[in-house]
Amino acid sequence: MFKNLITESTAKSPWLFHINSGSCNGCDIELVAVLTPRYDAERFGFKLAGSPRHADIVVVSGPLTQQSLPRTLRAISQVPEPRCIVTIGSCPQSGNVFKGSYSVMAPLSKYVHVDVAVAGCTPKPEAIMDGLVQATEILKEKRKAWLEAKKNGLKDGPKAETEQEVPAAEDVPASGEEVQQ
Amino acid sequence: MDFPFVREAVKNLFSRSSCDMYPLKPSEAAEQYRGRIEYDPSKCINCHFCERVCAGGAISVVEVPVEEGTQITRTFDLSTCTFCNTCADFCNTHAIKLTKDYHMIGLKEGDLLVSGTFVKVAKKKPAPPPAEAKPEEKAAPAIKPRDDGKPVQDPSKCVYCGICAKKCLGEALTVDRKEKLWKLDEDKCVSCGTCEEVCPKKAIIM
Repeated sequence: MFKNLITESTAKSPWLFHINSGSCNGCDIELVAVLTPRYDAERFGFKLAGSPRHADIVVVSGPLTQQSLPRTLRAISQVPEPRCIVTIGSCPQSGNVFKGSYSVMAPLSKYVHVDVAVAGCTPKPEAIMDGLVQATEILKEKRKAWLEAKKNGLKDGPKAETEQEVPAAEDVPASGEEVQQ
Repeated sequence: MDFPFVREAVKNLFSRSSCDMYPLKPSEAAEQYRGRIEYDPSKCINCHFCERVCAGGAISVVEVPVEEGTQITRTFDLSTCTFCNTCADFCNTHAIKLTKDYHMIGLKEGDLLVSGTFVKVAKKKPAPPPAEAKPEEKAAPAIKPRDDGKPVQDPSKCVYCGICAKKCLGEALTVDRKEKLWKLDEDKCVSCGTCEEVCPKKAIIM
Protein backbone atom coordinates (compact mmCIF):
# COMPACT_ATOMS: atom_id res chain seq x y z
CA MET A 1 0.00 0.00 0.00
CA PHE A 2 2.78 2.38 0.93
CA LYS A 3 4.60 1.55 -2.28
CA ASN A 4 1.59 2.59 -4.32
CA LEU A 5 1.30 5.81 -2.38
CA ILE A 6 4.96 6.56 -2.97
CA THR A 7 4.84 5.85 -6.70
CA GLU A 8 1.72 7.95 -7.14
CA SER A 9 3.10 10.90 -5.26
CA THR A 10 6.52 10.78 -6.92
CA ALA A 11 4.84 10.84 -10.31
CA LYS A 12 3.28 14.17 -9.37
CA SER A 13 6.48 15.77 -8.13
CA PRO A 14 9.25 15.31 -10.67
CA TRP A 15 12.13 17.28 -9.23
CA LEU A 16 14.64 18.89 -11.52
CA PHE A 17 18.36 19.00 -11.27
CA HIS A 18 19.92 21.64 -13.46
CA ILE A 19 23.44 21.21 -14.80
CA ASN A 20 25.13 24.12 -16.52
CA SER A 21 27.90 22.64 -18.63
CA GLY A 22 29.42 25.87 -19.89
CA SER A 23 26.24 27.54 -21.01
CA CYS A 24 26.07 31.25 -21.85
CA ASN A 25 23.36 31.62 -19.16
CA GLY A 26 20.67 32.27 -21.76
CA CYS A 27 19.01 28.89 -21.30
CA ASP A 28 19.59 29.02 -17.54
CA ILE A 29 17.61 32.20 -17.04
CA GLU A 30 14.83 30.81 -19.23
CA LEU A 31 14.68 27.72 -17.02
CA VAL A 32 14.47 29.97 -13.97
CA ALA A 33 11.72 31.92 -15.74
CA VAL A 34 9.76 28.66 -16.04
CA LEU A 35 9.73 28.43 -12.24
CA THR A 36 8.55 32.00 -11.70
CA PRO A 37 4.86 32.76 -10.90
CA ARG A 38 4.15 33.81 -14.48
CA TYR A 39 4.80 30.35 -15.95
CA ASP A 40 4.54 28.57 -12.61
CA ALA A 41 5.94 25.13 -13.34
CA GLU A 42 5.26 24.14 -9.74
CA ARG A 43 1.68 23.50 -10.82
CA PHE A 44 3.08 20.30 -12.31
CA GLY A 45 5.26 19.59 -9.30
CA PHE A 46 8.53 20.72 -10.84
CA LYS A 47 10.99 21.98 -8.29
CA LEU A 48 14.70 22.58 -8.45
CA ALA A 49 16.49 20.03 -6.30
CA GLY A 50 19.73 20.95 -4.64
CA SER A 51 21.31 17.55 -5.03
CA PRO A 52 21.31 15.16 -7.98
CA ARG A 53 20.34 12.36 -5.62
CA HIS A 54 16.98 14.00 -5.00
CA ALA A 55 16.16 14.58 -8.66
CA ASP A 56 14.06 12.72 -11.24
CA ILE A 57 14.71 14.89 -14.26
CA VAL A 58 18.16 16.15 -15.22
CA VAL A 59 18.16 19.37 -17.20
CA VAL A 60 21.39 20.01 -19.08
CA SER A 61 22.30 23.29 -20.73
CA GLY A 62 25.55 24.35 -22.34
CA PRO A 63 27.88 22.86 -24.94
CA LEU A 64 29.68 20.43 -22.55
CA THR A 65 33.11 21.93 -22.25
CA GLN A 66 36.06 19.66 -21.71
CA GLN A 67 36.25 20.70 -18.07
CA SER A 68 32.57 20.26 -17.37
CA LEU A 69 31.96 16.98 -19.19
CA PRO A 70 33.35 14.60 -16.52
CA ARG A 71 31.51 16.54 -13.83
CA THR A 72 28.28 16.53 -15.83
CA LEU A 73 28.47 12.79 -16.34
CA ARG A 74 29.27 12.22 -12.68
CA ALA A 75 26.28 14.31 -11.64
CA ILE A 76 24.03 12.46 -14.11
CA SER A 77 25.20 9.07 -12.84
CA GLN A 78 24.31 10.15 -9.30
CA VAL A 79 20.67 10.71 -10.26
CA PRO A 80 18.83 7.55 -9.25
CA GLU A 81 17.11 5.46 -11.92
CA PRO A 82 14.50 5.82 -13.37
CA ARG A 83 15.60 9.23 -14.55
CA CYS A 84 14.89 11.42 -17.52
CA ILE A 85 17.45 13.59 -19.26
CA VAL A 86 16.31 16.82 -20.90
CA THR A 87 18.59 19.09 -22.90
CA ILE A 88 17.77 22.76 -23.33
CA GLY A 89 18.86 24.72 -26.37
CA SER A 90 21.04 23.86 -29.31
CA CYS A 91 24.31 23.61 -27.37
CA PRO A 92 24.07 20.21 -25.66
CA GLN A 93 22.65 18.66 -28.81
CA SER A 94 25.24 19.79 -31.30
CA GLY A 95 27.63 22.36 -29.84
CA ASN A 96 25.81 25.14 -31.67
CA VAL A 97 28.27 27.78 -32.96
CA PHE A 98 31.00 26.34 -30.74
CA LYS A 99 30.92 23.12 -32.76
CA GLY A 100 34.40 22.00 -33.76
CA SER A 101 36.16 23.78 -30.93
CA TYR A 102 38.92 21.83 -29.21
CA SER A 103 37.26 22.27 -25.82
CA VAL A 104 33.65 21.50 -26.73
CA MET A 105 32.55 17.91 -26.29
CA ALA A 106 28.89 18.11 -27.44
CA PRO A 107 26.61 16.35 -28.28
CA LEU A 108 25.50 14.89 -24.99
CA SER A 109 23.79 12.00 -26.78
CA LYS A 110 27.26 10.62 -27.51
CA TYR A 111 27.65 9.76 -23.82
CA VAL A 112 24.14 9.21 -22.41
CA HIS A 113 20.67 8.62 -23.80
CA VAL A 114 18.84 11.95 -24.11
CA ASP A 115 15.09 11.58 -23.67
CA VAL A 116 13.81 15.03 -24.60
CA ALA A 117 15.61 17.71 -26.58
CA VAL A 118 14.19 21.22 -26.54
CA ALA A 119 15.45 23.21 -29.53
CA GLY A 120 15.90 26.94 -29.65
CA CYS A 121 18.62 29.41 -28.91
CA THR A 122 17.33 30.05 -26.35
CA PRO A 123 13.99 28.21 -26.24
CA LYS A 124 11.00 30.14 -24.95
CA PRO A 125 9.89 29.26 -21.41
CA GLU A 126 6.75 27.81 -22.98
CA ALA A 127 8.85 25.44 -25.08
CA ILE A 128 10.83 24.37 -22.02
CA MET A 129 7.57 23.75 -20.21
CA ASP A 130 6.36 21.58 -23.10
CA GLY A 131 9.60 19.62 -22.93
CA LEU A 132 9.35 19.09 -19.19
CA VAL A 133 5.73 17.96 -19.42
CA GLN A 134 6.81 15.55 -22.16
CA ALA A 135 9.59 14.34 -19.83
CA THR A 136 7.14 13.54 -17.03
CA GLU A 137 5.20 11.32 -19.42
CA ILE A 138 8.39 9.46 -20.31
CA LEU A 139 9.28 9.25 -16.63
CA LYS A 140 5.91 7.66 -15.83
CA GLU A 141 6.48 4.93 -18.41
CA LYS A 142 10.03 4.36 -17.22
CA ARG A 143 8.87 4.06 -13.64
CA LYS A 144 6.23 1.53 -14.64
CA ALA A 145 8.81 -0.61 -16.43
CA TRP A 146 11.13 -0.23 -13.48
CA LEU A 147 8.52 -1.47 -10.99
CA GLU A 148 7.67 -4.43 -13.17
CA ALA A 149 11.31 -5.38 -13.45
CA LYS A 150 11.64 -5.25 -9.68
CA LYS A 151 8.66 -7.56 -9.36
CA ASN A 152 10.42 -10.00 -11.70
CA GLY A 153 13.46 -9.97 -9.48
CA LEU A 154 15.72 -7.70 -11.52
CA LYS A 155 17.34 -5.45 -8.96
CA ASP A 156 18.94 -3.02 -11.37
CA GLY A 157 15.75 -2.45 -13.32
CA PRO A 158 15.07 -3.10 -16.98
CA LYS A 159 17.86 -2.80 -19.45
CA ALA A 160 16.10 -1.36 -22.44
CA GLU A 161 17.95 -0.97 -25.69
CA THR A 162 17.89 2.78 -25.42
CA GLU A 163 19.36 2.75 -21.93
CA GLN A 164 23.04 3.41 -21.91
CA GLU A 165 25.48 3.13 -19.08
CA VAL A 166 26.87 6.49 -18.09
CA PRO A 167 30.60 6.24 -18.78
CA ALA A 168 32.76 6.82 -15.73
CA ALA A 169 34.28 10.28 -15.62
CA GLU A 170 37.81 8.85 -15.86
CA ASP A 171 37.00 6.92 -19.04
CA VAL A 172 36.02 10.00 -20.99
CA PRO A 173 38.77 10.99 -23.42
CA ALA A 174 40.50 14.19 -22.52
CA SER A 175 40.31 16.10 -25.79
CA GLY A 176 37.57 16.73 -28.29
CA GLU A 177 39.70 15.65 -31.22
CA GLU A 178 40.09 12.12 -29.92
CA VAL A 179 36.34 11.70 -29.80
CA GLN A 180 35.86 12.80 -33.37
CA GLN A 181 38.21 10.16 -34.74
CA MET B 1 -0.66 45.74 17.84
CA ASP B 2 0.85 45.87 14.43
CA PHE B 3 0.29 43.04 11.98
CA PRO B 4 2.79 43.22 9.18
CA PHE B 5 1.74 42.28 5.62
CA VAL B 6 -1.92 41.82 6.54
CA ARG B 7 -3.01 44.30 3.90
CA GLU B 8 -0.86 42.57 1.26
CA ALA B 9 -2.16 39.16 2.26
CA VAL B 10 -5.80 40.16 2.09
CA LYS B 11 -5.27 41.99 -1.19
CA ASN B 12 -3.54 39.01 -2.76
CA LEU B 13 -6.26 36.69 -1.56
CA PHE B 14 -8.77 38.36 -3.84
CA SER B 15 -6.52 39.42 -6.71
CA ARG B 16 -6.14 37.45 -9.92
CA SER B 17 -3.36 34.90 -10.26
CA SER B 18 -0.35 36.20 -12.14
CA CYS B 19 0.13 32.83 -13.82
CA ASP B 20 -0.32 32.60 -17.59
CA MET B 21 -1.67 29.02 -17.27
CA TYR B 22 0.42 28.19 -20.30
CA PRO B 23 -0.35 24.64 -21.46
CA LEU B 24 -4.06 25.19 -20.87
CA LYS B 25 -4.10 28.57 -22.55
CA PRO B 26 -2.00 28.55 -25.71
CA SER B 27 0.31 31.52 -25.94
CA GLU B 28 1.59 33.11 -29.10
CA ALA B 29 5.16 34.24 -29.57
CA ALA B 30 5.96 37.92 -29.89
CA GLU B 31 5.92 39.71 -33.23
CA GLN B 32 8.98 38.85 -35.36
CA TYR B 33 9.91 35.96 -33.08
CA ARG B 34 12.38 33.68 -34.82
CA GLY B 35 11.31 30.09 -34.36
CA ARG B 36 10.98 26.99 -36.53
CA ILE B 37 12.43 27.39 -40.00
CA GLU B 38 10.10 27.08 -42.98
CA TYR B 39 11.69 26.20 -46.28
CA ASP B 40 9.95 26.47 -49.63
CA PRO B 41 11.88 24.33 -52.13
CA SER B 42 9.79 25.59 -55.05
CA LYS B 43 11.31 29.06 -54.63
CA CYS B 44 14.88 27.87 -54.05
CA ILE B 45 17.43 28.31 -56.84
CA ASN B 46 20.25 26.50 -55.05
CA CYS B 47 22.63 29.47 -54.84
CA HIS B 48 24.21 28.06 -51.63
CA PHE B 49 24.20 31.45 -49.95
CA CYS B 50 22.36 30.16 -46.87
CA GLU B 51 25.02 27.54 -46.19
CA ARG B 52 27.78 30.07 -46.60
CA VAL B 53 26.38 32.55 -44.11
CA CYS B 54 25.24 29.97 -41.52
CA ALA B 55 27.49 30.38 -38.47
CA GLY B 56 26.67 27.05 -36.92
CA GLY B 57 26.77 25.01 -40.11
CA ALA B 58 23.18 23.92 -39.61
CA ILE B 59 22.30 23.68 -43.29
CA SER B 60 23.29 20.68 -45.38
CA VAL B 61 22.64 19.85 -49.00
CA VAL B 62 22.48 16.52 -50.80
CA GLU B 63 22.59 16.65 -54.59
CA VAL B 64 21.60 13.53 -56.49
CA PRO B 65 21.69 13.42 -60.29
CA VAL B 66 18.37 12.29 -61.77
CA GLU B 67 16.97 12.10 -65.31
CA GLU B 68 15.75 15.69 -65.63
CA GLY B 69 18.64 17.32 -63.84
CA THR B 70 19.71 17.36 -60.21
CA GLN B 71 17.60 16.47 -57.23
CA ILE B 72 18.51 18.83 -54.40
CA THR B 73 17.59 18.17 -50.79
CA ARG B 74 18.33 20.94 -48.34
CA THR B 75 18.11 20.12 -44.63
CA PHE B 76 18.00 22.59 -41.76
CA ASP B 77 19.09 21.12 -38.45
CA LEU B 78 17.14 22.99 -35.78
CA SER B 79 19.29 21.45 -33.06
CA THR B 80 22.32 23.28 -34.47
CA CYS B 81 20.51 26.44 -35.48
CA THR B 82 21.05 29.71 -33.59
CA PHE B 83 17.88 31.21 -35.10
CA CYS B 84 19.85 34.30 -36.14
CA ASN B 85 17.76 34.78 -39.32
CA THR B 86 20.88 35.34 -41.43
CA CYS B 87 19.97 32.61 -43.93
CA ALA B 88 16.53 34.14 -44.45
CA ASP B 89 18.02 37.63 -44.75
CA PHE B 90 20.43 36.52 -47.43
CA CYS B 91 17.95 34.40 -49.38
CA ASN B 92 17.31 36.27 -52.60
CA THR B 93 14.14 34.39 -53.45
CA HIS B 94 12.69 34.37 -49.90
CA ALA B 95 12.59 30.59 -49.82
CA ILE B 96 13.59 30.52 -46.14
CA LYS B 97 11.40 31.93 -43.42
CA LEU B 98 11.64 31.79 -39.63
CA THR B 99 8.13 31.35 -38.25
CA LYS B 100 6.68 32.13 -34.86
CA ASP B 101 6.30 28.44 -34.02
CA TYR B 102 8.42 27.73 -30.96
CA HIS B 103 7.22 24.17 -30.20
CA MET B 104 10.44 22.45 -31.12
CA ILE B 105 10.81 19.30 -29.08
CA GLY B 106 12.81 16.32 -30.21
CA LEU B 107 12.01 12.94 -28.72
CA LYS B 108 13.91 10.94 -31.29
CA GLU B 109 16.43 11.56 -34.01
CA GLY B 110 15.07 13.46 -36.99
CA ASP B 111 12.40 15.33 -35.02
CA LEU B 112 14.34 18.55 -35.25
CA LEU B 113 15.08 18.50 -38.97
CA VAL B 114 13.35 20.64 -41.58
CA SER B 115 14.02 19.64 -45.15
CA GLY B 116 12.78 20.19 -48.66
CA THR B 117 13.49 18.57 -51.99
CA PHE B 118 13.26 19.90 -55.51
CA VAL B 119 14.58 18.97 -58.91
CA LYS B 120 16.69 21.52 -60.67
CA VAL B 121 16.25 21.12 -64.40
CA ALA B 122 19.58 21.18 -66.16
CA LYS B 123 20.46 23.30 -69.25
CA LYS B 124 16.92 24.57 -69.67
CA LYS B 125 15.65 27.98 -68.70
CA PRO B 126 15.58 28.30 -64.89
CA ALA B 127 12.07 29.25 -63.82
CA PRO B 128 12.01 31.84 -61.01
CA PRO B 129 13.64 35.18 -61.99
CA PRO B 130 12.07 36.35 -65.31
CA ALA B 131 8.93 37.74 -63.67
CA GLU B 132 11.07 40.24 -61.79
CA ALA B 133 13.36 40.96 -64.69
CA LYS B 134 10.82 42.54 -67.01
CA PRO B 135 10.10 45.88 -65.29
CA GLU B 136 13.80 46.69 -65.30
CA GLU B 137 13.79 47.01 -69.06
CA LYS B 138 12.55 50.57 -68.86
CA ALA B 139 15.31 51.63 -66.49
CA ALA B 140 18.07 50.62 -68.86
CA PRO B 141 16.88 50.73 -72.44
CA ALA B 142 20.30 50.38 -73.97
CA ILE B 143 21.08 47.01 -72.44
CA LYS B 144 18.32 44.45 -72.47
CA PRO B 145 18.03 41.77 -69.82
CA ARG B 146 18.51 38.26 -71.07
CA ASP B 147 15.67 35.85 -71.49
CA ASP B 148 17.24 33.19 -69.31
CA GLY B 149 17.51 35.44 -66.24
CA LYS B 150 21.28 35.62 -66.22
CA PRO B 151 23.08 38.91 -65.51
CA VAL B 152 24.11 41.41 -68.18
CA GLN B 153 26.73 44.07 -67.65
CA ASP B 154 26.32 47.72 -68.65
CA PRO B 155 29.81 48.78 -69.74
CA SER B 156 28.96 52.49 -69.50
CA LYS B 157 28.19 52.18 -65.77
CA CYS B 158 30.61 49.46 -64.74
CA VAL B 159 33.77 50.53 -62.89
CA TYR B 160 35.22 46.99 -62.76
CA CYS B 161 35.46 46.99 -58.99
CA GLY B 162 35.11 43.21 -58.84
CA ILE B 163 32.60 43.12 -55.96
CA CYS B 164 30.22 41.04 -58.05
CA ALA B 165 32.94 38.48 -58.75
CA LYS B 166 33.84 38.32 -55.05
CA LYS B 167 30.23 37.82 -54.02
CA CYS B 168 29.40 35.30 -56.74
CA LEU B 169 28.85 31.98 -55.06
CA GLY B 170 29.43 29.79 -58.05
CA GLU B 171 32.52 31.77 -59.08
CA ALA B 172 30.85 32.37 -62.41
CA LEU B 173 32.11 35.92 -62.84
CA THR B 174 35.60 37.03 -63.84
CA VAL B 175 36.43 40.71 -63.52
CA ASP B 176 39.75 42.22 -64.44
CA ARG B 177 40.17 45.85 -63.59
CA LYS B 178 43.26 46.55 -65.73
CA GLU B 179 41.93 44.90 -68.86
CA LYS B 180 38.35 46.13 -68.29
CA LEU B 181 37.06 42.62 -68.58
CA TRP B 182 33.73 41.34 -67.27
CA LYS B 183 33.06 37.73 -68.14
CA LEU B 184 30.23 35.42 -67.21
CA ASP B 185 30.54 31.65 -67.11
CA GLU B 186 27.03 30.64 -68.09
CA ASP B 187 27.32 27.06 -66.90
CA LYS B 188 28.28 28.09 -63.39
CA CYS B 189 25.70 30.88 -63.05
CA VAL B 190 22.54 29.98 -61.12
CA SER B 191 20.86 33.39 -61.67
CA CYS B 192 20.59 34.07 -57.95
CA GLY B 193 20.69 37.83 -58.39
CA THR B 194 23.46 38.42 -55.87
CA CYS B 195 25.69 40.27 -58.34
CA GLU B 196 22.86 42.60 -59.28
CA GLU B 197 22.17 43.33 -55.64
CA VAL B 198 25.76 44.03 -54.59
CA CYS B 199 26.70 46.17 -57.62
CA PRO B 200 27.33 49.70 -56.23
CA LYS B 201 26.89 51.27 -59.69
CA LYS B 202 23.80 49.28 -60.65
CA ALA B 203 25.65 48.17 -63.76
CA ILE B 204 24.27 44.65 -63.72
CA ILE B 205 20.82 43.97 -65.13
CA MET B 206 18.89 40.77 -64.78
